[in-house]
Amino acid sequence: MFLALLASLGFGPVKVEVSPDTTLMQDLLRQDVNAFEQLYDRHSRQVYGLVLRILQQASTAEEVVQDVFLQLWRNAAAYDSERGPFVPWLLTLARNRALDQLRLKSERQRRREDQTDELPPVSAAPDYENELDERRRVERVRALMGSLLPQQQRAIELAYFEGLSHTEIAEKLKEPLGTVKSWIRNGLLRLKEGLQTAS
Amino acid sequence: MATNGDQYGELIEAYALGALDPQERASLEAHLASGCPECSKALDEARWLVSQLAYLAPDAKPSELLRGRLFQTVRAEARSAGLAKSSSTIPFWMWGAVAALLLFTVYQAWETSRIRVTIDATKKSAEEEIAKRHELEEKFAIAQREAIILTDPHSVKIPLGTENKEMPKMEAVWHAKFGIVVSGLNVPAPSGTRTLQLWLIPKAKDGKPIPSLTLRPDANGNFVLLVANPPDAMDGTKALAITEEPAGGSQAPTTKPIWVGAIS
Repeated sequence: MFLALLASLGFGPVKVEVSPDTTLMQDLLRQDVNAFEQLYDRHSRQVYGLVLRILQQASTAEEVVQDVFLQLWRNAAAYDSERGPFVPWLLTLARNRALDQLRLKSERQRRREDQTDELPPVSAAPDYENELDERRRVERVRALMGSLLPQQQRAIELAYFEGLSHTEIAEKLKEPLGTVKSWIRNGLLRLKEGLQTAS
Repeated sequence: MATNGDQYGELIEAYALGALDPQERASLEAHLASGCPECSKALDEARWLVSQLAYLAPDAKPSELLRGRLFQTVRAEARSAGLAKSSSTIPFWMWGAVAALLLFTVYQAWETSRIRVTIDATKKSAEEEIAKRHELEEKFAIAQREAIILTDPHSVKIPLGTENKEMPKMEAVWHAKFGIVVSGLNVPAPSGTRTLQLWLIPKAKDGKPIPSLTLRPDANGNFVLLVANPPDAMDGTKALAITEEPAGGSQAPTTKPIWVGAIS
């Protein structure tokens, strides 16, 4: 507070302490509203961008984002910081909720009904993962994705953003099932190798 | 990873992506459920890899309306939880007060119970004391009456003699107002449950012996018998007699008198 006062009087710049996500999640367990607001302001653009990309409709995307963050608020204990980093877990939660909404919307048979009300498992980051800020992380992933064959990119995007299975993708692209499987597997392996090399 | 594991290993990334068809998914999930450590580790990595695909989505800012609505909801829930917490949380001093009250109540109950027991015991003791006192008063009254009978110069002494030389003599003292006292020393007790009984022999020519009280001497053969209200007046009685009778006495003598004393 004293540092903030100095900054307001023109004695800046002042370095502001930023709590890590894991600390804020711990604070959420104590129903700390301030921690929730920090987490929302820090990650809502990323979450909303992902959900909007999947649903392609702003109003529905906002409903899902609201659902995701309320789940975070009400089930903070579901995240175990010992098991893995926070952001991948949050993004997986957001994607699952968005795909659930997409399947409801398109009235397709829901293939993962058992996951509807469950929060995703927390996955450990691989050994090659380094701490990167969000901007560098985005650049790295997009660059690597851009290096894949267009058909690999398309197949992976259909699986990731539309929740389609191998068979559904093959039907949509009018390509053999085995070819689609290879595109996806090889594309993901190249992505993985690229992330390992980049770090 | 074994050959079998290799087969499943090829499915791991697609599984993390959610692209497996139902049959392959079920097969891999069964394998994962068996606890294959290599596949579990590979799945962890694959999930992280797939999570990175989120960065392919363009950044977008949700509306301020969503932010306001969400924050309002969360603050309301936090307030509600806080209220519930505070309403369900009893301050420490309150627990102390409750504990003190409880202790006091228990102490009061114990004290009341103790007092009640004491009162009951005291009441019982008092009743016993009163009974004893009544008994003593009665004994005292009897003793006083006996003393008057025995010491009053107006009393008439009536020696009770016996034909049996082995039997001790007895004496009766009759006071016209206070009654008769009969006493004996070293008197053998009648056999079994039999008893000795006093009789008033009337002066009337055809008068039958009038039954009076029964008695048994103590272990030492001593006794003092007070007849507070003799069945007949002294001037209508010519003698006193004592017979041995069945327990409870008789309405008419069933044995020959052992002791007899004439009233002069």
